[in-house]
Amino acid sequence: MLKNYLTIGWRNLMKDKTFTFLNVLGLSVAFGVAILLSMAAFFDLSYDKFHANVDNIYRIHTLEQTAKGQGASVSHPAPFAEALKAKVPGVDRISRHVQDDALTIYGDKELNLDAVWVDEDFFAMFSFPALKGNMDNPLENQSSIVITESTADKLFGEAEAIGQTVNILISGEEQPFIVSSVVADNPPQSTLEFEVAIRFEKHYEYSGNRESWDNRYHDIYVQLQNGVSPEQFEKSSRPLIALRYQEQIENAKRDGARANADGLYWQIGLLSMTDVHFASFPNGFLKVSRTGPYLILGIAFLILFIACVNFINMSIAKSAQRLREIGMRKTLGAQKAQLFFQFCSESFFVFMASAGIGIVLSILLLNDFKTIFRTDVSLDMVASPWAISGFLGVVLLITLIVGGYPALLMSKLGTIQSLKGKLDASGKNKVRDILMVVQFSIAILLISGTLILWGQLDFMRNKNLGYTKEQVISFPLDGKKNSYEAVQLLRDELRGNPDVLNVTAADNNLGYGLDGSSSKSLYGYEYKGRMVRTNFLTVDYDYVETLGLEMVAGRNFQRGFANDSLSVVINETMARELGEDDPLTAYVMMNDSIQYPVIGVVKDYNFERLDKAIEPMTMFINNNWDLYYAYVKVAPGQMVKTMDAVQEAWARIEPNAEFLGSFLDENVDRTFRREKVMATLIASGSVIAIVLSCIGLFAISLLVVNQRTKEIGIRKVIGASISSITFMLTKDFLKLVVIAFLIASPIAWWSMNEWLKGYAFRIELNVWVFISAGMLAMVIAFLTVGTRTVKAARQNPVKSLRTE
Amino acid sequence: MLLQLRNIFKWVNSGGQRLFLLKDINLNVEEGEFISVMGPSGSGKSTLLNVIGMLDNFDEGEYEFLHEPVHTLKEKHRANLYKEYIGFVFQSYHLLDELTVKENLEMPLLYKKFKGTERRAMVADMLDRFNIVGKKDLFPTQLSGGQQQLVGVARALIANPKLILADEPTGNLNSAQSEEIMGLFKQLNSEGVTIIQVTHSEKNAAYGSRVINLLDGRMIK
Ligand SMILES: Nc1ncnc2c1ncn2[C@@H]1O[C@H](COP(=O)(O)OP(=O)(O)O)[C@@H](O)[C@H]1O
Ligand SMILES: [Mg+2]
Repeated sequence: MLKNYLTIGWRNLMKDKTFTFLNVLGLSVAFGVAILLSMAAFFDLSYDKFHANVDNIYRIHTLEQTAKGQGASVSHPAPFAEALKAKVPGVDRISRHVQDDALTIYGDKELNLDAVWVDEDFFAMFSFPALKGNMDNPLENQSSIVITESTADKLFGEAEAIGQTVNILISGEEQPFIVSSVVADNPPQSTLEFEVAIRFEKHYEYSGNRESWDNRYHDIYVQLQNGVSPEQFEKSSRPLIALRYQEQIENAKRDGARANADGLYWQIGLLSMTDVHFASFPNGFLKVSRTGPYLILGIAFLILFIACVNFINMSIAKSAQRLREIGMRKTLGAQKAQLFFQFCSESFFVFMASAGIGIVLSILLLNDFKTIFRTDVSLDMVASPWAISGFLGVVLLITLIVGGYPALLMSKLGTIQSLKGKLDASGKNKVRDILMVVQFSIAILLISGTLILWGQLDFMRNKNLGYTKEQVISFPLDGKKNSYEAVQLLRDELRGNPDVLNVTAADNNLGYGLDGSSSKSLYGYEYKGRMVRTNFLTVDYDYVETLGLEMVAGRNFQRGFANDSLSVVINETMARELGEDDPLTAYVMMNDSIQYPVIGVVKDYNFERLDKAIEPMTMFINNNWDLYYAYVKVAPGQMVKTMDAVQEAWARIEPNAEFLGSFLDENVDRTFRREKVMATLIASGSVIAIVLSCIGLFAISLLVVNQRTKEIGIRKVIGASISSITFMLTKDFLKLVVIAFLIASPIAWWSMNEWLKGYAFRIELNVWVFISAGMLAMVIAFLTVGTRTVKAARQNPVKSLRTE
Repeated sequence: MLLQLRNIFKWVNSGGQRLFLLKDINLNVEEGEFISVMGPSGSGKSTLLNVIGMLDNFDEGEYEFLHEPVHTLKEKHRANLYKEYIGFVFQSYHLLDELTVKENLEMPLLYKKFKGTERRAMVADMLDRFNIVGKKDLFPTQLSGGQQQLVGVARALIANPKLILADEPTGNLNSAQSEEIMGLFKQLNSEGVTIIQVTHSEKNAAYGSRVINLLDGRMIK
């Protein structure tokens, strides 16, 4: 029996090759795309789950009430972790954590390694399995370090790494360390990343801050004892917090802050390690959002859905041609269940073939996918028995639903009715129409999403940020020399070059440089009885001139003014924050005693991403604070050549350091990476969605035209024109697109509006975006259907009448 | 007695009115009869045949087939009944275009769950008996109308039904082909198979032992 089903199934598929091809093509593409997208999504969702203790590990943050509302921070003062361990019950293990670069020297090799500075417990809490060396407590000694396998390769090549001594540059001094353990490279799904792990006490900030509760500069990860809940732990921490942050709490009360829901002004929060990758603190409130991966899964689902709708619609439409077979089988004694099984098994054929091709497609496209969408998914992940059985389960389920529905319809048909070859038209077409409307709604939704994302991206790329981004190169000052000395040498080296207009430096970059790091320093002080918070930027001379910032009052720092190192330049927002009629009379207070007068106000510029409003900013010039990035303004025209000149100059100053220079406009572009990936994703999704919908539409139009061949013939004989027949055949389909447009547009409007709200600087939503998305869908649908209908309308009526 | 129809009515509702397709049909059929149903187009011949074949329901009356009261049976039971005892032949053959002659013949046996060896023997036997061994691997569209109907009859016969229902079996055939099919029916009937056929031709009707005339859904003498 099965053989009979399979033979007739196979021959049916082969009889209408166009149809089978369209079906298999659509489903394969959908499967392939869905596999890739779900891989990326599940990859993202599995972040940090590889740690064996993940369920008990939390990252600690503080929630602070200020006069302006709630603030949140993940940075803590150095003594805090020890105090938690000593005073609050429930701590199993705890580790402070700072991520920084470490210039590591071994023989004549100098590598700028990605380092974490952590406590002893770190390797007991987190699962970074040791491959060699001390497995139990590799950071027991302060002079020990742990490196990853590829770092060991880079430093020592073939030689044994364990027991080797390397020097690490800390506060300008080389300090010796012994490699005690080599661990496997960080898994790609790890939030914590390092090439070398060093004891926390060795970090350059530590010696000055070991007892200080004012300077907050590191994260804390805690592993709670089994059975201790984070809520419990937070409650137990309240006495310690009240004691240690008494001063801050009192200041907050004085400034008019209001207590939070728990009646507190200062509180810690514990964020589960599994949520860390997805957490942010917009407006001072913790937000854990897995929207990204779920959006990707959603798109995967929508694409599969569209392909499945095609399959259902085509099967139902095709069944009209198989009515005689159904009726005949019934008169020969087939039961409903048997017919159902027969049609299901045919679907099974198509689905298995498509899933197979889909897998092959996804493997072929994996590498391109990884580069375009910046994900580290690998086939190993997918090869797990879990993933394979999950995939098979999903395919089977889809086969059952998608193959089962038309099969059910067909097996239920009455014998006589089907023998006569008549399909009870009204009901079936309704299902088909609804499904097609849903398909096109999805397509229109994705198209408008794409247009708006592109619009916002374009806006952000072209917005005047308030500084010259096209002509300025920035690069990290990560050599052995003191940064002021290095910048001065750079000025000297480049002095003779007419294409170099200005050289300066600061302790922060603009946008993301090639070193991929970004930081933010905040400073708060009491100004005339209020707390004022500002961004803190250490600059060198000529910062304003090099970046083309505009002074709106006063002057920039200038050489020869001895007091400038005790003065500040602020931005307009800071000036407003200080609230003086003449901002030049205001000051910034350092160390509770020294007043730094404001000598100049610079026009606001976007020193952070455009989703953030411009915050208060204060610039200092002080030789005691290190600079981390050099800025070189070059003349237009010879920019590539000048970049080379800068690189050569830097190589003469720091021969062993890598040059990671890039233009600021590239840096700014890199900050849109997330948006770009999302735009590419949704754009590809919408292209695939529209192509698949059109495949379905094309197939249905093919069938409808075939079914109406006789009618078309008669109409033509009676005298209908080609255009009127084309119109008649096309309008039914276009009607569906119009309905889809009416459904999709409000949804698209709402969701894109929500998304844009996350940007302080954004485009306005425009009705035309939605109308063009609808028009686009309409035109594509028209072209798809039109080719068939025009052809049918032009056919010689005698010929079409004879086919019956 | 093979089957008995008592006061069978069948109607459809159209515009609030009952439109009768069959009116008060009373009919006894003995085993071994060869009955021809005649009447103008639209008089209800096919409807009657479908009711007898249990492909279609009726609205009133009683129908006994081999002493089983068909009107009280569940659909599944009814399907088993016709599957076992009745073979159908259609004017337009209704062969499955995707299957070869051999596979078309085999299909009823599949639904009746015969074993593979048995099926092959029965199919071979049938091909032999109808002289179409050479055509066994051809598809229906590769055959002439007469040959297709031959396959249709063979398919109806393959599971040894007691009753064959033929709705204008020669309607699409030329006279030579018609005679061949009718001869076949005659022969089958003499072997004990009961046959009910719908026909428009007096000549074909003459092959039968009894004629039933229908007019507007009613039997006339
Ligand atoms: N399902 C139905 N609904 C309405 N009228 C029907 C239906 N089936 C058959 N008829 C009508 O019943 C009459 C008898 O049909 P039929 O039995 O096919 O006649 P014939 O004697 O030509 O085989 C015809 O007028 C036909 O139009
Ligand atoms: Mg008829």
